[in-house]
Amino acid sequence: MADTRQKLFLTKNPFDLTGTEPLFVRAMRENTAYHLAHCPEYRKIADAAGFSADQVQGIADLDKIPVLPTVLFKRHRLYSMPERRMAVRATSHGTKGKFSRIGLDWGSISAGFWMVLRMAKTRGLLSLRPVNYIILGYKPHRGNEMAVMKTAYGSTFLAPALHRTYALQFKDGGYVPDLEGVLQTLLRYAKQPHPVRFMGFPSYTWFLLQMLEQREIRVSLPPGSFIMLGGGWKQFYRERVEKETLYRLIQERLGVEESHIVEFFGAVEHPILYTDCPAHHFHVPVYSRVIIRDVRTLKPLPHGEMGLVNLLTPMIRAVPVTSVMTDDLGILHDGQECPCGCQAPWLEIIGRVGQRDIKTCAAGAADYLKGGTP
Amino acid sequence: MILAGGKVYPSAEQSRILAQLPERINETRAAQSLPCETVIDALDRMSRRIADGAFDAMLDDTMLRSQVQYAAKQLTRDALVYKVRTELGADWEAPVTSEQITVQMLPLGVILHIAAGNMDALPAWSVIEGLLTGNINLLKLPQADKGLTIQFFQALIEESPELRDFIYVFDTPSKDITGMQALAAVSDGIAVWGGDAAVGAVRQLAPIGCKLIEWGHRLGFCYISGTPSDAELTALASHILETRQLLCSSCQVIYLDTDDREQVTAFSERFLPYLEAVALQFPVTDPGAAAELTLRRYTEQLEAVIAGIPAKSRVFQGKFCSVTVCEDRDLELSGMYGNVLVKPLPRNELMRTLRRSKDYLQTAGLICADADRDALTDLLFRCGVNRVLPPGEMSAAFPGEPHDGDYPLRRYTRIVTKRSRPE
Repeated sequence: MADTRQKLFLTKNPFDLTGTEPLFVRAMRENTAYHLAHCPEYRKIADAAGFSADQVQGIADLDKIPVLPTVLFKRHRLYSMPERRMAVRATSHGTKGKFSRIGLDWGSISAGFWMVLRMAKTRGLLSLRPVNYIILGYKPHRGNEMAVMKTAYGSTFLAPALHRTYALQFKDGGYVPDLEGVLQTLLRYAKQPHPVRFMGFPSYTWFLLQMLEQREIRVSLPPGSFIMLGGGWKQFYRERVEKETLYRLIQERLGVEESHIVEFFGAVEHPILYTDCPAHHFHVPVYSRVIIRDVRTLKPLPHGEMGLVNLLTPMIRAVPVTSVMTDDLGILHDGQECPCGCQAPWLEIIGRVGQRDIKTCAAGAADYLKGGTP
Repeated sequence: MILAGGKVYPSAEQSRILAQLPERINETRAAQSLPCETVIDALDRMSRRIADGAFDAMLDDTMLRSQVQYAAKQLTRDALVYKVRTELGADWEAPVTSEQITVQMLPLGVILHIAAGNMDALPAWSVIEGLLTGNINLLKLPQADKGLTIQFFQALIEESPELRDFIYVFDTPSKDITGMQALAAVSDGIAVWGGDAAVGAVRQLAPIGCKLIEWGHRLGFCYISGTPSDAELTALASHILETRQLLCSSCQVIYLDTDDREQVTAFSERFLPYLEAVALQFPVTDPGAAAELTLRRYTEQLEAVIAGIPAKSRVFQGKFCSVTVCEDRDLELSGMYGNVLVKPLPRNELMRTLRRSKDYLQTAGLICADADRDALTDLLFRCGVNRVLPPGEMSAAFPGEPHDGDYPLRRYTRIVTKRSRPE
């Protein structure tokens, strides 16, 4: 029965959602059955909701599968197999020490391998030509289980690596950014004939581009170079730039065309590699489904409406991440709305849940100045 | 952007300006004074410019025209004179001599204002209080400030160039520790508006001996003893929705003078329609806030299932609002935006319960029989509450009103003494 999952992940066309629908439903049914049998907490939640795996018969039944908020994985260890049997453990790079502990089983590793190859191929990232890598992220280090680091490192196998340089170096027990070092390496790489690949946080890419701009440096990276962006903006929301500005700067300072800028999206609780299309939209691949839920009732919403983003995949057995609710707000658009020609619906992330910091004891000042009601 | 000496500089010039700051301030302190009258006069003229719409283009859409007019009114001569007189007394600038000892109220000196970013006018208001008392003011802008504050002070300095050396505005990020320390190092007092994290950070930053003027987060509640009237429930519901439960004085928790859970449930069922009626007039449509509350509740529900315990609260959901019946007595932040908590709290438990939240007390709404009012008001004051008001007026402002139990202007001054020379 494990074959259903592997079959799904071996699908040739990663955006053939209609054709793989029965396979996806069956894999989801098997996956929930597995977690119900092996994760007592998951079982309790399902029982309380009156859910059983055989209720998953068609694509319309996916919304019945218990949805676990990502915050639940940060507060509880929810495992469907003992840790020693997991192939890899990964953590989200959450702030303030709160992170999800997610494990991957061997089956999901092999499934993930095929997924990465197929998705990378859609943007022409698979190549046998050796390249130089600039990782604007963490340098691997024993004890660092962060998923972003692993993804970044993994991405350096899409084309053979001549050399890798890292923006975040491990020094004296912690990571320190070294953009100056990266800049010097970049200048060296630019003189070589080999293509260069950037991988990492958009915010660091932006900082580096700003450094180039301030020093009036322009380089022209060899043809075949790629700028890969992933890992979110995290603590650098203040520096958040419009994508267009970023693309323009990349073209201007590094000489890389927009068609060679690729953005990834994923979460440690939903380790599906979303790769953007040439129009920079995240189409849902066959390994995943997205349900947008009403912000008050959690009921599924039709395409085009904004709500909480619920991500589903049968990829993992080690932990019950079959259906997780992120704290993102998003919209699922019809595939036809994208000019790239891909028919799969695409996910647009609008922002994060939450409100601005509670208005402070502004009782006095606020009332004096605003007439009592904000 | 940085405002110094009446001129605007780009943020990149911060280090240079900070390096010169101690000397500039020393020169101002040695040679200039700022009479209260000068400040009142300048603000009075500004109030007319605000009323005429000079800043309308800078304000975000949520700020109503009526609120702009209200802000303008607070800066008129009459309002400012009243405020200063109430807080500091008439003729506060004049020395008082008694038996050869002369006592005089003077500005504290240099005040660093660290303002919260969620109220457009708050940073400016904090500085205005510092100016009225003659201080040199350094304002660290909140990140959310979109330029309104600097524009306001530039215009104020145009009106009255004497204010030039008394207003500095910096957009130093809180994370720039070196910059923040440089600002703190020259200050005699730091006025900080914000949550526990912001206040805590300032305590780390402030040199020992520097006076801290903390305006931290507060949590409001309403105490109900006996059966409230329809009018009282409507007033409470209006208060909750009109303030969005975002102000320190806003009601987060409704406490009932009972230990009977049935009564708490019965009250919640009765109150929901009142809340809903107002919520439909002022619906909160922000999806981010609604999503956060939904997600929090859903997670709590799942955690209760995992732990095998019954949910510790019961939610009565209305349209754009909700009433949650709780088992515990803690004073805590509600879901806000019309999502209020109801808890049992017999009056003999008031002291014990509220003292656990002593650092967050400020406003209590009170609904009770007339015969009980004085005793309950007194009890609430003894617990540490500073304002006891009818439910509809919990967030109302009164001219010359103290803030968190203090007259702010007094905190921005110091009192000096000297012995008069014998005749």
